[in-house]
Amino acid sequence: MRILIVEDDVEAAGAMARGLAEAGIETVHAADGVLGLAAAQAGGFNVLVIDRMMPNMDGLTLVETLRREGDQTPVLFLSALGEIDDRVAGLKAGGDDYLVKPYAFAELSARVEALARRRETGSVQTMIKVGDLEMDLIGRVVHRQGKEIDLQPREFQLLEYLMRHAGQSVTRTMLLEKVWEYHFDPQTNVIDVHISRLRAKIDRGFDHPMLQTVRGAGYRLEA
Amino acid sequence: MAMALPRVFRTTPFRLTLLFLMVFAAAASIFLGYIYVVTAGAVTSRADQAITQEIQSLTGVYRQGGIKALNRSMVERAAGDRPFLYLLRDKTGQKITGTLEASPVRGFTGAPSSVNFKVTDTDPDGAEVRHSARGQQVQLVGGETLFVGADVSGAETFVLGILRAIWGAGALVILLGLAGGILISRNVNETMAGLNRVVIAVRGGDIAARAKLRGVNDEFDELASGLNDMLDRLERSMGGLRHVGDAIAHDLRSPLSRLRARLELALIEAEAGKGNAEAALVQALEDAEGVLATFNAVLAIARLQSAVEAPDQVRFDPGELAAGVAELYEPLCEDKAIEFKLEATPALAVRGNREFIAQALANILDNAVKYTPEGGAVRVRVRRRASGEVEFSVTDTGPGVPEPDRMRVVQRFVRLENSRSEPGAGLGLSLVAAVAEAHGGRLELDEGPGALNGSGPGLRVALVLPRLA
Repeated sequence: MRILIVEDDVEAAGAMARGLAEAGIETVHAADGVLGLAAAQAGGFNVLVIDRMMPNMDGLTLVETLRREGDQTPVLFLSALGEIDDRVAGLKAGGDDYLVKPYAFAELSARVEALARRRETGSVQTMIKVGDLEMDLIGRVVHRQGKEIDLQPREFQLLEYLMRHAGQSVTRTMLLEKVWEYHFDPQTNVIDVHISRLRAKIDRGFDHPMLQTVRGAGYRLEA
Repeated sequence: MAMALPRVFRTTPFRLTLLFLMVFAAAASIFLGYIYVVTAGAVTSRADQAITQEIQSLTGVYRQGGIKALNRSMVERAAGDRPFLYLLRDKTGQKITGTLEASPVRGFTGAPSSVNFKVTDTDPDGAEVRHSARGQQVQLVGGETLFVGADVSGAETFVLGILRAIWGAGALVILLGLAGGILISRNVNETMAGLNRVVIAVRGGDIAARAKLRGVNDEFDELASGLNDMLDRLERSMGGLRHVGDAIAHDLRSPLSRLRARLELALIEAEAGKGNAEAALVQALEDAEGVLATFNAVLAIARLQSAVEAPDQVRFDPGELAAGVAELYEPLCEDKAIEFKLEATPALAVRGNREFIAQALANILDNAVKYTPEGGAVRVRVRRRASGEVEFSVTDTGPGVPEPDRMRVVQRFVRLENSRSEPGAGLGLSLVAAVAEAHGGRLELDEGPGALNGSGPGLRVALVLPRLA
């Protein structure tokens, strides 16, 4: 995987590149908006990670320009602005995800991977299969090794998200944002409780556990 | 020199009064002129008519009895009480008879002609006075000229009297108008000066200055209360900004110094070749996360407090929102063997920022679950009060908050003694209060349902949002 980092803070970009390299992600760095736009236009990136505030050309303009030119490469905005309106503005300009600084590398790499994956699964699916776990999106039923697993609607959504990102780490914040659509940080880790219930349903009584906890990052569904 | 004028003459109301008086004076002059022309015209034409009649009468006598009869008649008439002046002259211009010595008509051609002239008279006191008069002259068939005039000074005096009266009244009106103008300007001026003082004070940095209302509900009171309202909002907003700075400085110093101390200690130990650097880094990272969470919470609270109202407000169903948040916390309750119940009146509507209200409700619920012991109960209710306000309430069976502490727990970083063992920074309820205020609502804390399973009396926390306008 190859991603473009457009960030005027060179030190931060360097740290980001090192952090992402740990996760096996190759990075290219552009130090301002204009250079970033040129690099993005040259193409060849799975994901663009773009800082919102930069000299010469800000991130919003950069992405708006790319989208106007028909470039649909997934964009993750990085911003020191954490207000709701700023996130909405970022998504409106054509961003696909929004991460507020400072962030954990685990959060960044999980989101970059999720964005890259989203690109690959373009067509409409009716069935998702991960190992011996099968999800019927039309009938809203889940089977593991042929046994039906009874899930609450929210558990179904949670599992669907995990299955769509099977093999990747997903963070608690990502789950809260994408499954529950809340953008705040609950004081208690409520997500853990939901995960442990889901885990009890899909893993209990089977030979190998699929829903893994990734230390310092979140969770991962493995085949 | 405009600057030398007293202040009151430079005020807008006084200028308007002056302008009004000028317009008034111009209108009055035109009116008076019209009256003069009409009245004077009437007087002249009445005199002309009388003179014409007299001439007709005299020429009638002349036609019947000749110059002799005319002469006699004129002598009789002049002696009588007729108000006319007469002069009859022969062909050569010699006076035959009459009360005038010479004709006032100059350059007589024979055609009948009218003239205005002056007669000199002696008044009862013996003083000489000149009266206005009007007359006509005709030429008789025998070549004689007949002049008949009338004294019009009486009528003119009358017209002039009317004019003087009207002018006098006008002058009085103008004087009263000026006085009124000065009074009004003074009054308006004082009010404006009051408002100006506030503006000057605020410009000088005293944001707490407020205009006094006169309590008469006029446009000045409206302006004053508008100004005060604006200043209130500005002050709150500025206070909020100052608060952000204060809050961040105060609230982040201690966790940051803890973090710094930990890193410094880890470095010293690592240099000495003892201690566990990895453990110290893990701990430091956790500390940093904590600082960040505090920072975010403080910033969110301060921003809400400084905003006049919450951003991005939409209309939504509060029951639905509560169900979503409750669903997030329900498994947590189950794990703790807490009986959880949600009661929501369906199809209610409120206006607000969904995200903030969801977060506020999550904070309340988080506290409730945290402080309710195992075997307790947590109940979430969404209902409309009789007042039309919508309340989200969370009742728990935890230890509750003693009445004297209830106001305190809403403040930033206040944590009661028995809650110190629980995680959290003590910002949860402050954020709820800030969210409530940014929506024009409030946060209410009451005693819960009483003792249950050896715990209690519990706490009832309500986020009350105003009714839809």
